[in-house]
Amino acid sequence: MIAQRAGTTALRRVAGKPNAFFTANVSRLGRTQTLSTTQTRLVATQKLTADDETALLAKQRLHRPVSPHLDVYDKQQTWFGGSIWMRFTGAAFSGSLYTFSAAYLVAPLAGWHLESASLAAAFGALPFVAKGALKFLAAWPFAFHAVNGVRHLLFDYGVGFGRRTIVKTGWYVWGASMVGGLYLAFFL
Amino acid sequence: MTSIARSSLLRQLAAARSATQQNVIAKAARATAFHTTARRDILPPLPQRVDGTVNDPAPVPPTSPSHGSYHWTFDRLVAGSLIPLTVAPFAAGSLNPTLDALLCATILIHSHTGFQNIIVDYVPAYRMPRARKLFIWGLNAATAVVGLALYEFETSDVGITEAVKRIWTA
Repeated sequence: MIAQRAGTTALRRVAGKPNAFFTANVSRLGRTQTLSTTQTRLVATQKLTADDETALLAKQRLHRPVSPHLDVYDKQQTWFGGSIWMRFTGAAFSGSLYTFSAAYLVAPLAGWHLESASLAAAFGALPFVAKGALKFLAAWPFAFHAVNGVRHLLFDYGVGFGRRTIVKTGWYVWGASMVGGLYLAFFL
Repeated sequence: MTSIARSSLLRQLAAARSATQQNVIAKAARATAFHTTARRDILPPLPQRVDGTVNDPAPVPPTSPSHGSYHWTFDRLVAGSLIPLTVAPFAAGSLNPTLDALLCATILIHSHTGFQNIIVDYVPAYRMPRARKLFIWGLNAATAVVGLALYEFETSDVGITEAVKRIWTA
């Protein structure tokens, strides 16, 4: 049963029967209402074989929340954490390298021009704004991965692994990579 | 026992509900019943199975240094050696062909193990054994292709650092 339906059933039960949870209107205490005193049990037992048990357990496991559930963590750690952005930037660079390399191999067959000379000429023909934007788009992840990579190697030596230090240096990495990215894109 | 604990006063208290409350509850119940959109989880768990019986403990995987500690150390050595190889062209302007080839090879290994880490993390072998195999061998094939392409680029073009420099200053 999905959670929403379960909620509905519970609400219906609440709406239909008196219970101890709705006590706001104390002034109406004087008014008596007839109540049913018979107990109803909505649970029934049933014999299961070992296979049924296993199947039931597997089915119940599907309703478990997936771990880690990103919503429960501090945003600073999960959304701006150096760890996941290390993976994003690295995967973006390596993905670009793999894509470009495969395209470079296919280029002579497909008639593309991916030699360094034609790439440089094509890039040089772009307007300044586009050049700067593209350069920053490459330079920022590069700076981030480089700076944060050093931080992670230091972590591996047990350096700077205190909780507060991790948070602080995480923000330093964001600052340094922004400055570094801007420098590489516009002053190099 | 229950009948003693449940005094008639408590029962009356329980029965007392304001009209507004009743209204809200009834409306909510009606509205929820008409929700036709299914709940959509971001990452729904995959179909699961139970190995052995329900009460068996989780199996401890056998240790393997070449997939564990040695691999970890090797990964760090590769990552660490990328620092001087990356800094050198900024200091010298460009790299000589041997160092450039070394940089390419190191980046290729670093990328390969990085992708491996991602696959190992998100495609668990105990749950998706076939997909895991497919991804790992797909990655091996892709890395071989990229190795060949980098060899081509290094031998018939100007090399990675020089190419980046020319595009950057174009």
